[in-house]
Amino acid sequence: MIELLLTVFSATFFVTVIRTTTPLLFATLGGLISDLSGALNVALEGIMLIAALTAVIVSAYAPWYVAVLAAMAAGALLGSLMAFFHLRLKADIILVGFAVNILASGGTVFALSMATGGDKGTSINLVSKAVPGVDLSFLKAIPAIGPTLSQLLSGHSILSWLGALTVFLIWYFLYRTPYGLWLCGVGEYPAAPEAAGIAVGKVRAWSLIASGALVGIGGAQLAMFNYIGFTRDMTAGRGFIALGAVLLGARHPVGAMLAALLFGVFEALSIVMPNLFNWIPSEMIQTIPFVVTILALVLFSYRAQRARQLKTLSKP
Amino acid sequence: MAPLLQAVSVGKTYPGGTVANDGVNLSVMAGEVHAVVGENGAGKSTLMKILFGMEQPDRGELLLDGKPVRFANPREAIDSGIGMVFQHFSLVPSFSVYENIVLGSEPKAGIKFDRAKAIAAVRELSERFRLNVDPLPPVGQLPVGQQQRVEILKALYRDARILILDEPTAVLAPQEVAELFVAVRSLVEQGRTVIFIAHKLPEVLEISDRITVMRAGRTVGEVMAKDVTEQSLATLMVGREVALRVDRAKREGELVCEVKALKIVGENGATLAQDLNLKVHGGEILGLVGVEGNGQAELLEAVAGLRPIADGVAYLNAESLGRMSVLQRRAKGLASIPEDRIAQGLATGASVAENLVATKLADPRFVRHGLLDLKAIKAHAEKLIEQFSIRVGGPKFAVGTLSGGNMQKVVVARELAEQPKLLLVNQPTRGVDLGATQFIWRSITDARDGGAAVLLSSADLSELLALSDRLVVFYRGRIVAAFINSEELSAETLGTYMLGLAQQEPETMRAALR
Repeated sequence: MIELLLTVFSATFFVTVIRTTTPLLFATLGGLISDLSGALNVALEGIMLIAALTAVIVSAYAPWYVAVLAAMAAGALLGSLMAFFHLRLKADIILVGFAVNILASGGTVFALSMATGGDKGTSINLVSKAVPGVDLSFLKAIPAIGPTLSQLLSGHSILSWLGALTVFLIWYFLYRTPYGLWLCGVGEYPAAPEAAGIAVGKVRAWSLIASGALVGIGGAQLAMFNYIGFTRDMTAGRGFIALGAVLLGARHPVGAMLAALLFGVFEALSIVMPNLFNWIPSEMIQTIPFVVTILALVLFSYRAQRARQLKTLSKP
Repeated sequence: MAPLLQAVSVGKTYPGGTVANDGVNLSVMAGEVHAVVGENGAGKSTLMKILFGMEQPDRGELLLDGKPVRFANPREAIDSGIGMVFQHFSLVPSFSVYENIVLGSEPKAGIKFDRAKAIAAVRELSERFRLNVDPLPPVGQLPVGQQQRVEILKALYRDARILILDEPTAVLAPQEVAELFVAVRSLVEQGRTVIFIAHKLPEVLEISDRITVMRAGRTVGEVMAKDVTEQSLATLMVGREVALRVDRAKREGELVCEVKALKIVGENGATLAQDLNLKVHGGEILGLVGVEGNGQAELLEAVAGLRPIADGVAYLNAESLGRMSVLQRRAKGLASIPEDRIAQGLATGASVAENLVATKLADPRFVRHGLLDLKAIKAHAEKLIEQFSIRVGGPKFAVGTLSGGNMQKVVVARELAEQPKLLLVNQPTRGVDLGATQFIWRSITDARDGGAAVLLSSADLSELLALSDRLVVFYRGRIVAAFINSEELSAETLGTYMLGLAQQEPETMRAALR
C-alpha cells in the first residue's frame, strides 16, 4: 500500500496522468461541444479510432504535425458526415453515431491490413512517428523548486499543452462570444434561435465538425504519443468514458477537464498497479477506469437529483 | 394614407392539398392596432407565417410601404422591420432576459459579446416602451406575462416597426392582459404598428382600431372596432348566429365525487397541491379556476389515476380511488378529456377507429378471445363520427391528419360514447374553432344532464363562467375561494383570487364548497 502511495505521489505518476488524460480531454471537449448544440456525438470512440489510424499512416510518410492535422481533418470529415446524415437526411443522431462506431471498428482493421500489407492487429511494420514532447529542462536552473518543476512539466506531449489551451479557448468561445450563446441556445431550445434568424442546422453542423476535429486530436495523441503506432481497437472505450465525462463535468469546459483528469488518474492507476500488485489479475485492474465511470455517473445523477429537490423545496 | 403593410389576394395551398389561404386581403395602416380574428383553421396563422417569412405564398403579393416584398425566411422579415411574438414563446429558459433579447443580434466588441452594452440596451428599451422587466434573471423563472414582455422587447430590439402578436392573451390572467394592453397602447403612441391575432372578441374590441375577419381561408370583412358589437363580429366570424351561452344545470343529483384533504407531490418531492377539499354532485359542473400550474391540472390527474395521491382521499361513489388503476377507475364510470390531446388524449399515428376503442379493449363488443373485432370497431367508429360530426374521410384515417377541433371531437366522442358518472375535463377547447367549441360544450352539458358530475379546468375564464355551476379558485396548490356561478360573477373577480390578491372569508368559501 505504501508503495502505491509512493508511486501515486511521484512526479512520474503525474506525467503518466497527463499522458492518459490528454486523449480523454480532447474527446470530452469534442463531446461537450456536440452535446451543448443538442446533437450528442456518440461516435467519439469511432472517430478517435479512425483518427488514430489516420495519424499513424500519415506519419509514416509525412512530418508529425501533418499527421496530427490529418487526424483532425479525418475527425472533422466524419463529423461533417454525421451532420449530413443527421441534419440533411434527418437520421437519428444516436444511430448515426453508432454507425460510425461500427464502421470504425471494422474499417480500421481493413484499412490497417491494406496499409501494412496484411497485418490485421498492429501497425508494427509501419514506421510511424511520435508527437514531440516539450522540453522544459531549463527550469532546473530555478533554485529550490527547479528540479521538481522540471520533472513535473517537462516532457509532456505538445498536444497536452494544446489541450489545456483548448479548454480555455472553448470556455472563451462559449461564454464570451455571441457564437457560444448561439450554440447553447440551439442546444437548449432551438425554436428560440430559429425565431431570431439563427440557422440552427448550420450551428449544429459546425459543432459536429468541431467535435470530430477535437476527438481527432485525441486520436493523434493516443497513437503518436501514448503509444507509437496503431493497435486494433486501441481506443478501448475512451470515447465512451469521455461521454460520461461530459455529463460528470456538468457540461462546462473546466468541469470537462476535471472529469477527464479524474478518469485519467484511474487509467494511470490501472497502468502502474499491475507492477505493484502482481497477485491481482491485471484484467481486473484494467476494469478500474470503467467501473469508476459508472460509479461517478451514478453518484453524479444522484447528486443532481438531490440538488433539484432542494431547489424546488426552497422555492417559496 | 397608403397602408404600411398590405397583403393582396394571397393564396397558400399546403402540400397535403389543404387550402389555408385563398384570396386573403389585409391592409394595415401605420400606427394602428389591427386585429385579425377568425376561428381556428380560418387561416390566420398561415397568413401571419407568410407575413413573417416562415411560409411563402403561392399566389398574390405582399406590399410594404407600397413596394412589393418577398420574405424567404424570418430573418428577411425581421430586417424589414417586422417582429412576431408567437403564442408559444421562443425563449431559451436558462438564458437571462437580456441574452434572450439580443440573441442573434448581439452587440460585439471585436469578437467578444459585449454584455454590458446588451444590458444597457435592454434597460433603455424597457423604459422607453413601458415594458418593465429586469434584464438579469433567467427567463425560465419569470411568470408568463413577463416572458411575453421579453418576447415583445426582443422584436423591438430588432427595430420592429410592425409587431405581430399571435393570440397574446391566451396565456394571461385578466390583470396581465390589462398590463399588456397598456404596453400595446404605448407602442402605438410611439409610432409602432401592432397586428393582433385573437379569438376572444371582447379583448379584440377593447384594444383594436380596425378588425379584419377571416373565415375558411378568406377575408370576409374589414370593420372599424367602434362600429361593431361582439355578437355581430361573432356572426361575421362563423357566418351564422351563434349562442355563446349554455343552459345551467336544472337539477342536482347525489354526491358523486368527494376529495378530502388531498395532497399531491411531484416527482422531485415538491408539493404541488395540498389540503384540497371538494365535492361534486351528479348533474353539476364544478369549474377549477387558476393560472396554469397552480394545482388544477394535478388534481385532475390525481383523480384520473395519472398521478399518485400523496395524502388524503378521493372518492367516487363512496369508493376510494387511491389504489385503483386507471382502467379500474374507468370501469367505475370515470371519463377524462385530458389537457393535451396530442400527447395524452390520442395516438396521432393510429386511425380514428383505433383511437375510439382505445379505452375499451376489455369490452367483449370489440375484443373477443384476445382478437380485435374489426367490423364492430369500424361500425362503432362510423356511428360516433356521425354522432359527433367529426369531419374526417373515414374511420381509417390517421388522427394526426385531422384539424385541432376534429381531433378534440375524437377525444370527446371516445370519452362520452357512454354516459360517464364522473367526467374530468381539462382545456376542452384550447385551439379549437368556435363551431367545434359549441359542439364540445354541448356534449359536456349533455353528459351533465345525463347525471355526470363534471370537473372542468380551463385557461379560458369565459369558458369556465359559461359552463360551470360552481367554481373553485386554485392558488399555489390550495383552494383559496369558491363561488356559486351567477351573472354577477366576473372574470376580474376571479382574477384577483387567481393572482392571490384577495382572500375569501372561510364561511363564504365553505358555503360555496357545499
